Amino acid sequence: MTGLYIHSVSAFIGEALADTDLLKEELHKYAQENFRRVNRFILLSLIGARECIHGHSIAADTAVYLTTEYGNLGDTVVVLDEIYAAHSLPKPFHFINTMSNTATFYLAQNLGTRGRNLTISSQYLSFERGLDLLMTDLTAGAEQSALIGGVDVASLPGAGGEERDTRGWRMVDGSGWFYVRPEHEGACGAFRENRSFRNEAACLKWIRERGESPVDVVAFGALIGGEEASRWREALRPIADFSYLDQYGYCGSAAACGIGMFVKHFPGKSLLHINRDPRGNYAVLEVEVF
Amino acid sequence: MQQGAFVTGKAMICAIGETPEQIVEAVRHRRIHLAHLSFPLAGLPYTRPYYLIMRNEADRPENRPDGYFTEILFSTAAGAIADAGLSDIELGKTHLFFGSTSMDVPVFEGNHRITSASVSDIFLRASNGYGKIASAVMERLGIGGGSYTFTTACTSSANAFLYAAAMIGQGRLERALVIGYDLFNNLGFYGFEGLKSLATSTYRPFDRQRDGLILGEACGAVVLEGRPRSAGDFRFLGGANLCDTYSVTSHDEEGTAVAETMNRALGQAGIAPGAIRAVKAHATGTENSDRTECAAMRLTFSGRVPPVTCVKPFIGHTVGACGVCELILFTQSLKAGFIPATPGFREKDEGCNLTPLTENEAVGEGIFMLNYFGFGGNCTTLILSNEGGRA
Repeated sequence: MTGLYIHSVSAFIGEALADTDLLKEELHKYAQENFRRVNRFILLSLIGARECIHGHSIAADTAVYLTTEYGNLGDTVVVLDEIYAAHSLPKPFHFINTMSNTATFYLAQNLGTRGRNLTISSQYLSFERGLDLLMTDLTAGAEQSALIGGVDVASLPGAGGEERDTRGWRMVDGSGWFYVRPEHEGACGAFRENRSFRNEAACLKWIRERGESPVDVVAFGALIGGEEASRWREALRPIADFSYLDQYGYCGSAAACGIGMFVKHFPGKSLLHINRDPRGNYAVLEVEVF
Repeated sequence: MQQGAFVTGKAMICAIGETPEQIVEAVRHRRIHLAHLSFPLAGLPYTRPYYLIMRNEADRPENRPDGYFTEILFSTAAGAIADAGLSDIELGKTHLFFGSTSMDVPVFEGNHRITSASVSDIFLRASNGYGKIASAVMERLGIGGGSYTFTTACTSSANAFLYAAAMIGQGRLERALVIGYDLFNNLGFYGFEGLKSLATSTYRPFDRQRDGLILGEACGAVVLEGRPRSAGDFRFLGGANLCDTYSVTSHDEEGTAVAETMNRALGQAGIAPGAIRAVKAHATGTENSDRTECAAMRLTFSGRVPPVTCVKPFIGHTVGACGVCELILFTQSLKAGFIPATPGFREKDEGCNLTPLTENEAVGEGIFMLNYFGFGGNCTTLILSNEGGRA
C-alpha cells in the first residue's frame, strides 16, 4: 500500500447519551454555522470531520468516506415509534435522517466539496474496508484527496443506556477522521499497509514473512481476546501495546478512533492494528507517524 | 494493469417475475402487476399503489413468515452464483458487495407481529449493524472474501456495483457478488407518504401528468468477474459517484452536478457522449428529480440525447436495490434484442422537454449509460457495453 499519507487527524470521544447541546457546543469550536434538523449521528460526524480539517483548506473535489457499524439508528427508532406507537406518518426529516448518508451530505455541503461520497459498513472491519474503497478511487485517479472517518453513537436511545459493553469497556460516542492525500509533503503520518486475510493462520504467515520489520506498537480490534492477543505479541515482539479500548472506551467505530488517537499521541512511532470479524476474517493496518 | 469486469451471472425476483426470463417477457409485453396498500397503522382512509412480490398468498406482507427476508435473499444470491456456474473454490475467493436502503428493518417489523414488544425495542435490542446481512449471506453460501455494505440511499447497490467492478478492473479482486435488496417495509412506505412523494394511481416518469413515485420491492444479484464466461456478457467500462450538495432531498434543477457525474463516468470509460446507444434513466417520477435528470442529459449530450428508457414503471422504485435490479432488467432486455419502452408515458412535460421511448426499440450491441440518484445528494452513473470488440 503506497501513497496514502495522513495530513491531519481527529479522534473525538464523547460520553454516552450526553446532551446534544454539548455536542453542538463542541462543533462550534470548529464551525460557526447553525445546524438544524441534524441528529446525534450527524453531529458526531461533523465534529470529527471539522476538527480534522481545521486549519486546512481542502479541495472542492475532496471525497468523503464515512464508515459505521450502526449508522443513524436514533432516527430509525423515532420513525418506528411514530408509525407503530403514535399511529401517524413519520415527520419528513425524521424519515430522511434514517438514511445514514445524510451525514456525509451535510458534511460535504458544509465543507463545500463535491467529490465521491460514500457511507459504508462491514461488521467490525468497516474502517479497513473504507480504506480499500478509498485506495481504489485514488488508483483510478478519481480523486486526489479524501476525508475518511469512522462514526458511531455509544448506545441506542431507549436500549437501556448501558454504560458498559458486555466485555467491560465503557460505551462512548466516537468520531475519528483522517484527511489523506497521495503527497508525502506536509503529512503527519501514513497508512503503510491495509491487508485482509481469510483466517488467523494466513495473517500469521504474512506477519512472519515480514521478517525483522520492527513494530513499535500493536493494538487489537474488539474481537481479539486476551489469549489471542498474547499470541500476536509473541509473534511481533512490539515495544508496547496501545489498548485504546481500555483507555478510551468502545463504540462501533472504535478502530478509527483508536488509530486516530495513536496518530495524535505517538509521534515517530509505528502501529500494527490487528482486527477480525465474527467470521474469522482478519485485517491488518500498519500506520506510521512522522 | 487495467482488466475488465464482466457480469457473468444474475438472478432477480420482483413484482413481475422470479427469473430474468420471466422479467424480460413481462417487460417486452408490458405486463405490470400493481397492488394497492393501505395505511392501517395511521388510520388513513386511502390506499397507494405498490409493486409487491406476489408469487402466492404467502407473499402478502401480512402473511410473510419468519425467515421470509432471508429466503428471498439467499435464493436470489444462490441463483446468481448458479447462473455464473461458480465452483466452491471460486466461491471461497468471492467478495460480497451489498446495497440496501431498508437493510433488515422488514425483519424487525415482521417480528413485531409475533411478540408484544414495540418495533423500536425489537430493533434496538436485535440490530447487529449494517454489515450483518452481508455476513449472513456469506456464511450461508460459503463465500469467503471480504464484505462491503453500502448505505447511500437509492444509489446503494449502484455504488456497490461501481466499486466491485472498479476493484476487479484494478486486479484487487478476482470476483464479486453484488446484491441489491429492499423488501416491503412500513418505515419506507409510510415515510415516503409522509413526504407526499407517492403517486396515487399510475407510474408516469417524465410525463406532464406524473404525480410521484411508486415504491416496489426486489432482490437482484449479479456475479462480476475479470473475464467473461459467455459471449454477450456485459462489461463495465467506467462509472462515477458524486455528491450534489444542493439539498438533502432534491437536486439543483440546472442539472450541473448530475451532468458532471455522467461526464466523469464517460471519462472513466474513455468514450465520448456520442458513443452511448441508449440511457436507462433514474426517472423517479417526482418533479424535481425528473427535471434535473433531463436537464443533465441535455447538458451531457449537448442536446442530442440518445434513446432514453425509464424502467421503474415495471418494478417500482426499489430504492437501494434499484442499482442492481434495474441493471439486470435493462441488460437482459438488451440481450433479448430490445430497449424497453416506458409504460405509462403519454404527454411530454415542457419542464423535462424529453420524450422517453414509448415503444420497444430493436437493438444490437452497444454502449449504455445507467443513471441513479438518491437522497443525500448521491449521484451515480455506470457505463456498460456488450459490444463484441470490447467484450
